[in-house]
Amino acid sequence: MTDYDAIVIGAGNGGLTASLTMAKAGLKTLLLERHNIPGGCATSFIRGRFEFEVALHQLSGIGTVDFPGPLIKTFSDLDVLDDIEFVEMKNLYRVVYPGKMDLVLKADRAESIKTLQEHFPNDADQIARFYDFVWEYCNQWIHVVLMKDAEASAQKYPVFFKYALKSMQEVLNEYFTDPLLLSAIGMYYAYLGLPPRLSPFGEFALVLWGYTEFKPWHIKGGSQALSNALLNKFLEHGGTVRFNCSAIKINVQDETVTGVITEDGDEVSTKRIISNAGTYNTYIDLIDSEQVPSQKYKELAGKSVGVSGFTIFIGFDEEPDKLGIREATNFLTMDADANKAYDYSKTLLPAKNMLFTCYDVDDPQFSPVGCCQGALICLAYGEPWLKVPPARYFERKYEFARHMLTILYKVFPKCENHIEEIEVATPLTHMRYLGHPGGAIYGFDHLGKDTDFFIEKASPIKGLFHAGAWMGSGGFQPTLMSGASAGRALIKSLKN
Amino acid sequence: MKSNSKKQIEGYKDHIKEIEVFRKYGVERTLEKGQVLDGINALHPKSIDLKVSRVIKETLTTSTLRLVSKNGYLPPFQAGQYINLFMEINGIRTSRPYSISSAPNQTGYYDVTVRRVKDGFVSPYLIDQIQVGNSLSSTSPTGNFYYNPLFHGKDLVFLAGGSGITPFMSMIREVTDRGLDRQIHLIYGSRKEDDIVFHEELADRSSYADQIKLSHVISEPSPEYSGAKGFITKESIQELAGDIAQKTFYICGPPEMSTFVSKALQDLAVPGRRTRKEIFGPPVNITQQPGWPETVKSKDQFEIILNGGKAIKAAAGEPLMNSLERSGVVIPATCRSGECSLCRTKVLKGKVYQPQGVKLRKSDQKYNYIHPCMAYPIEDLELLV
Repeated sequence: MTDYDAIVIGAGNGGLTASLTMAKAGLKTLLLERHNIPGGCATSFIRGRFEFEVALHQLSGIGTVDFPGPLIKTFSDLDVLDDIEFVEMKNLYRVVYPGKMDLVLKADRAESIKTLQEHFPNDADQIARFYDFVWEYCNQWIHVVLMKDAEASAQKYPVFFKYALKSMQEVLNEYFTDPLLLSAIGMYYAYLGLPPRLSPFGEFALVLWGYTEFKPWHIKGGSQALSNALLNKFLEHGGTVRFNCSAIKINVQDETVTGVITEDGDEVSTKRIISNAGTYNTYIDLIDSEQVPSQKYKELAGKSVGVSGFTIFIGFDEEPDKLGIREATNFLTMDADANKAYDYSKTLLPAKNMLFTCYDVDDPQFSPVGCCQGALICLAYGEPWLKVPPARYFERKYEFARHMLTILYKVFPKCENHIEEIEVATPLTHMRYLGHPGGAIYGFDHLGKDTDFFIEKASPIKGLFHAGAWMGSGGFQPTLMSGASAGRALIKSLKN
Repeated sequence: MKSNSKKQIEGYKDHIKEIEVFRKYGVERTLEKGQVLDGINALHPKSIDLKVSRVIKETLTTSTLRLVSKNGYLPPFQAGQYINLFMEINGIRTSRPYSISSAPNQTGYYDVTVRRVKDGFVSPYLIDQIQVGNSLSSTSPTGNFYYNPLFHGKDLVFLAGGSGITPFMSMIREVTDRGLDRQIHLIYGSRKEDDIVFHEELADRSSYADQIKLSHVISEPSPEYSGAKGFITKESIQELAGDIAQKTFYICGPPEMSTFVSKALQDLAVPGRRTRKEIFGPPVNITQQPGWPETVKSKDQFEIILNGGKAIKAAAGEPLMNSLERSGVVIPATCRSGECSLCRTKVLKGKVYQPQGVKLRKSDQKYNYIHPCMAYPIEDLELLV
């Protein structure tokens, strides 16, 4: 007899859906979380009058009543749909390059094409062709990857098989040369964590198509409300959660899971574990390396730790409209070449590209009456920050933030005089709260070689399963779905 | 996707080759064991083992404990931040947050300056019992009461009450030691002249550093005292601080002073964005707070059932966390002022009173979470701890 049927390490998006999936199926499940609150990235914190959203910018996969997205199915299976209120975000994004470009893309294919054609009339035909092409690619992807067409071949689905592994840049270059247009249309590279020259086209296409078709959404009460809803349902189903209690070791014997040791020194036995701690932490810090086939470390050696973020959380004592903020999602750029802008993320030099999200535009109740909050974020790797001597850390942090704010004020001059709260999070802050190397927010870098086509999902350790960004893609929808899927795989393994 | 199908993707073989090359030249990951934690510990270790290297008697009621790290390393902090000190007194494990009064540019020690609280539990212990060489542990420095160069400007007014001087001392020491470009006007309210903590040092620093201006306000002055008398009020702020248009105000002092002074700033039309306020622990008498149920007396006892098993008794007039600690149930804590949420706990049944200013997330309220450091039982309760 073991103490639990299954233990889940980490109450991030993946850990929460994994735990709930198993508790709902009647498994005696223990969820361990190092922090005092569930969510991982999907959380909030309070400063003054503001409850700041930490990580969710645009939730994908929700869709509409007529065309529900895949994430709705996940939530419905977990019976939490009634506990979450979704808020539709009107636009995909605004992209501003001060003095050079300023346009807003709606979450609608025809409208997006129209807007881009108005701004780039010379490329009107190419823009339409590009959208057709992206949609055709995704259509073929659905048949091949999602519906697993048994007769899938390069003859039957030529676009998918030709373009899935091309770089985003290669494909964009087939259509466009205007650097501003490339910048405007390719902005979602930021959600992939890698620039066009390194991001696989297939991943980019799915993001652009996915947000346009299923619309971007947010959650009433922020992502913490989602995490709390999932945890609450887990408790209702008899699950046990321990907060402030990290797993410090996964016990493995004969390449089989036997239990977990917690930071309090408790040894808890189980034959099945879902680790939401990421494969890096799981195999390097939680399991004795002698227990892991060396092939696993070769695999990890070939991967690079992905990007983190530098975020400035700002509380304003004024409504968005009065600050000139009319879109929720604003990409601000100081260099049309995203590839070059990305290189700055590996340094402490002033960031060139950033995202400014103001949640109150679509949900006026997000912040207190008469106020609004914004998150100003750029991609940033942990490495250069780890080299900053601790004594200089705060200075560097404020210096970096100051440059970003200068750009924000350039686009939204009224913001400067209405700041009531500011909290700054560096990659090291993310490292502290997530426990990930370099504070990575999307797991490993997601190059073509790191896409699902090449990932061996099954662990060499019997009884061990993975949920979260490190074994697939980053972001809310993928991690939430990965946990549910890991939970189902674990349940299935019990029947075998 | 089936593997024979995958192989038809253009570039598939090249990617397989790429993977092999990356693995060949990749790093030996097993050697990175512990690196993430080392990185975290450089700034935010979960706890610090400390030793008292010196005790400095500041006034009749106030002492400074100089704390050095047992492993030789102290993480950096921002002037104004605090540590939560852990201790065991008469078999009860508890903790209290104290602002660091030493300057952040001085990295060898943290000073905490403790004033004796009448009938207090922890402060007499720290002042009377703790000696040079004793061990204590603490959290890493934390807190949101510090100078933020991104929006606080350069013209600052510090409004201190009694032992609320401690975070300001750290800020003043840093600005004067490092010659930083910032103007500080300290308006410091004390009961009597000999209650003024850091009296001489403040006089000294303000005499040589142009950045510091010093005003004392004494509420129970001796006959010979000739400076400003009474409390820090709207009128005294107006008179002492002069033109307040571009200044940022910081308030730190006992809850009564803090509330009073905040109101004064509001009356002076200082916008909230230019008022920073430090938390200061639970109020002395919770039953006097607005919204406290009249039928419940401070001494009333309620039964608290934990995780459906163990039951303990808790007095209405005391934060739940203290009652839990007395029963041997230690909940993680940092701010003990309702702000940091470390002690976040779910209430399964029953009601608590939570004073204004407790920072609960919206969805935590929905699912009945409380912060026991600033929650008071007003009924029998069931908690999930």
